[in-house]
Amino acid sequence: MDKLTQTAWLIPLFPLAAFLILTALGRSYRRVGVLIGIVGSFAAFLFSLFIVVDRLGANQVDYNYSIEWLAIGDYSLRIGFEITNLTTLMLAVVTLVSLLVQLYSAGYMKDDERITVFYGYVSLFTFSMLGLVLSDNLLSFYIFWELVGVCSFLLIGFWFTLPKARAAAKKAFIVTRVGDVGLLLAILLLFWYMPEHALDFTTIQSVFDGQSGAITNGITTLIALLLFVGAIGKSGQFPLHVWLPDAMEGPTPISALIHAATMVAAGVFLIARTFDIFQDSAAAMETIAYVGGFTAIFAATIALAQNDIKRILAYSTVSQLGYMMMALGLGSLTGGIFHLFTHAFFKALLFLGAGSIIHAVHTQNINEMGGLRSKMSVTTWTFAIGALALIGIPPFSGFWSKDLILSAAWETNPLLFGAGLAAAFLTALYMSRLFFLVFMGKPSAASMDAQESRAVMTLPLIVLAVLAAVSGFVETPWNGWLGTWLTDGSEEAHASGAVIAYSVAVGLLGIYIGWLAYGKRSISFAAWHERLPWLVRLLERGYYNDELYSAVIIKPLKLLGNVLLAFDTYVIGGIVRIAGAAVSTAGRAAARLQNGQAQTYSLAAAIGLVVLVAAIVGRRFLP
Amino acid sequence: MLKEVPFVPLTWTDMLYLAPEFLLAAVFVLLILLDLLMPRRITRLTIGWLTLAGIAGSLLLVVLRMVDMNQGGVSGEAIQLLGNSYRVDDFGSLLKIMFLAGTALVTLLALGSVRDDEAITARAEYFYLLLPALIGAMMMASSGNLVTLYIGLELLSLTSYILVGLKRKSSLSAEAAFKYVVTGGISSAMLLFGMSYLYGITGTVDLGGIAEALPAALTDFKALAYVGFFFIIAGFGIKVAAAPFHAWAPDVYQGAPTPISTFLAVIAKGAAFAALFRIIYSTLLTLRDEHAIVADDIWLALLVLAAAAMLAGAMAALRQKNAKRLLALSGVVNTGYMLVPIGLSLSVVHSSNFSEFVYYFIAYLFMTIGAFAVVSAVSRASGNDELRSFAGMYYRAPWTAAAMVVFVLSLAGLPVTGGFFGKLFILLGAANAKAYWLVVIIVASSVISYYFYFGFVRQMFMRSGSDEERIRVPVETGIVIWVCAAATIALGLFPGPIMEWIDVVFSLQSDLMMLG
Repeated sequence: MDKLTQTAWLIPLFPLAAFLILTALGRSYRRVGVLIGIVGSFAAFLFSLFIVVDRLGANQVDYNYSIEWLAIGDYSLRIGFEITNLTTLMLAVVTLVSLLVQLYSAGYMKDDERITVFYGYVSLFTFSMLGLVLSDNLLSFYIFWELVGVCSFLLIGFWFTLPKARAAAKKAFIVTRVGDVGLLLAILLLFWYMPEHALDFTTIQSVFDGQSGAITNGITTLIALLLFVGAIGKSGQFPLHVWLPDAMEGPTPISALIHAATMVAAGVFLIARTFDIFQDSAAAMETIAYVGGFTAIFAATIALAQNDIKRILAYSTVSQLGYMMMALGLGSLTGGIFHLFTHAFFKALLFLGAGSIIHAVHTQNINEMGGLRSKMSVTTWTFAIGALALIGIPPFSGFWSKDLILSAAWETNPLLFGAGLAAAFLTALYMSRLFFLVFMGKPSAASMDAQESRAVMTLPLIVLAVLAAVSGFVETPWNGWLGTWLTDGSEEAHASGAVIAYSVAVGLLGIYIGWLAYGKRSISFAAWHERLPWLVRLLERGYYNDELYSAVIIKPLKLLGNVLLAFDTYVIGGIVRIAGAAVSTAGRAAARLQNGQAQTYSLAAAIGLVVLVAAIVGRRFLP
Repeated sequence: MLKEVPFVPLTWTDMLYLAPEFLLAAVFVLLILLDLLMPRRITRLTIGWLTLAGIAGSLLLVVLRMVDMNQGGVSGEAIQLLGNSYRVDDFGSLLKIMFLAGTALVTLLALGSVRDDEAITARAEYFYLLLPALIGAMMMASSGNLVTLYIGLELLSLTSYILVGLKRKSSLSAEAAFKYVVTGGISSAMLLFGMSYLYGITGTVDLGGIAEALPAALTDFKALAYVGFFFIIAGFGIKVAAAPFHAWAPDVYQGAPTPISTFLAVIAKGAAFAALFRIIYSTLLTLRDEHAIVADDIWLALLVLAAAAMLAGAMAALRQKNAKRLLALSGVVNTGYMLVPIGLSLSVVHSSNFSEFVYYFIAYLFMTIGAFAVVSAVSRASGNDELRSFAGMYYRAPWTAAAMVVFVLSLAGLPVTGGFFGKLFILLGAANAKAYWLVVIIVASSVISYYFYFGFVRQMFMRSGSDEERIRVPVETGIVIWVCAAATIALGLFPGPIMEWIDVVFSLQSDLMMLG
């Protein structure tokens, strides 16, 4: 095994070092701070790239290195890192997107006074995400999983002076915590049932893969479902998707890095990493597939009715993550990971493009934009490529990955194929609506003075546009390279002319209707607003999920909380206050001794001695 | 009844055994001369660095002696000098190493802070007077009879009176020095009074001799023995600042220059503990049958003092707003913890008292010096040592704030720090010895002390200060802070090996008691 792979544990340390240096420097060194962040992730990216190149050949052996961390009795907890083709791919995606986003932020966050804090958080996030990817066992995976959650919390609430940002950060933290409980329970169950309490992925793989019968089917299904609950929380699947659109209150580069390309894909990565458990449980696989398919179509309908550019993209992210989940549920590991891979590029591109637009027009409402094509040509072209990739028009990357997922569904599950196709149509519709409203038509008041962003911001857009255009060719119906590389050839490439025809057709149809409605304006959806106002409002409000949760979960919990609080305040608090008052009175007495008079001190010492003697010795001399 | 102690003059070999003390004395004399002869324009910091070099040399000699005495992993026999009035044994050597290391850190701290302290005019004395104080502390750890012990104590005390008052332009410092002289005088008087009673009833000042003669003396003069021991305990109670003898500590620590407060809190206190440990264990452990009651009463008195110190210190600290006074009261609480292993006596189920004591003392040394160093850096920047000058420190000096968090965690006894394990060992020791009431008090005082220790954390992280400027930490102070932080964490990560090593090196019979 190559030296390079053996030292892969160094990769997360570059951004960690950047984080530590940034924290130590404080807020004063703005330019240097930005440079340190970028250099940290650039070093990590270069290193990852070397490892990718190193492992491109066929039949690379997985490399695992771990050390004993804790020994409790007979049980020893090991911690280490593992390099497989899957983790290598994730390393490259995370470091590349992180690098581009940091480069972009140098322009986007230029005037923010806490820019060094921002870079510190981003570096910490990159470190945590790389740690998560490299983890060779579920326990350290869980630690990093929580750490990326913390970073996400910090960055959503980065502008903590805005009440909405604070609320969104809190919401994201609490909602994902529900999922984390599932993951923790799954880990505990595994710890309990695994031979020798092993939690490392290699052992998990061999135990479940060999169908050794060490763990019964019922428990396997339970573990798989609990792991999936964790993935639902992190990857914004129905019904825990509600935090992701709100997370858009964070700075836009963060939406691109954390809430589109990397962290939200961690759920998909978790399932891919423990795929052997899922393959043992048909019930769990079906659940994943249906939840994924439902989320894909559900979130796409909501995206249709949103007016905030970032919220549209956020719901689109939820929908696309649904595709990935559906692929995994259908047994196509390659499909899920491939879509994760292409989606990371085109969705990061779309978010950064949206950031560039917001930077220019200072609004997020697409109805107030318009005609930006003539003002911002680079943003327009790159955004168009991203949109086409997302819609799935050949030859852009999204087409190939979506085609792989639809093919998998076509062969096994017609219902999910229909759902996928419908979601693809809706995707085309909302993206063309977005595109035509923002870029076409006459410049609106807000976009009159818009200017193209600086090169430091457009360069990442161009790089991502190139990747969004060509990265799909690693896996095409006639070339199953990625699948072979990821799964050692156990998954074969699917090819179906009918699927390609259907998916291109619905994509083009969606764009055409979008063009008629928002480009040419020959048909109007205004009639819908009049005839079915409830439907529009239903979609606008995201099916009233938030309101539902508020009524069913939050309000009763608050009520219960108030009851408990009253008990706490009046009963327990009373006891505590009495104890506190006693201590405080004693404290005042002790402080009174401290009156600054040496004679008082000496007197206290003398009295103390007398009391001590009298109390202890006196009893010996009493009759 | 009087037993003649034959006078044995020092031989050249004996002088070699005393080399660490002699080296310090020689450097001391040399530095006085140097200060007189050196032109005024040469900075007196040179004297500080030479003091540090002298301490380092002495430390090396003590370590070499200890290695030489413990060859082959077995605890060596104690070396007795001058008719057993001075002993070189592992008990003394272990503590001397800590005193020397602690004083070295204090000297560094003084080097870092003296430049900006206009109130200190006698800069040379500020450094070289640490040497006789240190010699005194080392004598107390090594003494084998009451006279040597008292001479060591006075050497330490008299020098520290001067050191406390060295800020000649500060009335607070003068007041502190005066109070320290008065309470110190009372302490010496009580000690001497108690010692004279012990001498009176046993006819000897030699600790081994007292242990031999005590059973016989107790049958006739039981009450006088009680008086002797209780006055000795009260005398040392003032020195180690155990409640109710602690009231001087906040005033003196506040008024003294911060490095000197540190010296008093760590080295002076440690030396008094060493002497107390030696007297109590040498004389009381051999009492049997009806005389054991007397010993039990004295152990009990020590435990009562410990409990009083823990509670009184913690409660008085609750309302404290001055960082140095707060640390002084924290020192009172810690005195309580360190008195526990001394007062627990030995039993079949519990005999690791000394390693518990030394472990906690090591942890206490590093966390206290570290905390005082941070206070010194902060008060240098803000011009006062109130707790609120820590406000917003996370933004003004994030790394120093992080180090302070380590010290606070350790002082509060939270993992993974030396303070956590130190307190844990003491707690387990008390539980092993079935002193459950003491366990309750230790836990209660810890809980109360969380509140005032986290006053630091609250100020540093949750308050924004009026001052936004970064706090610049002098290099020497920075070294002290990071050495202490590293040691505190190391003690928290690897408590096992250190405890085992102390157990291997230290043997009760040959190192502490003076039989025959």
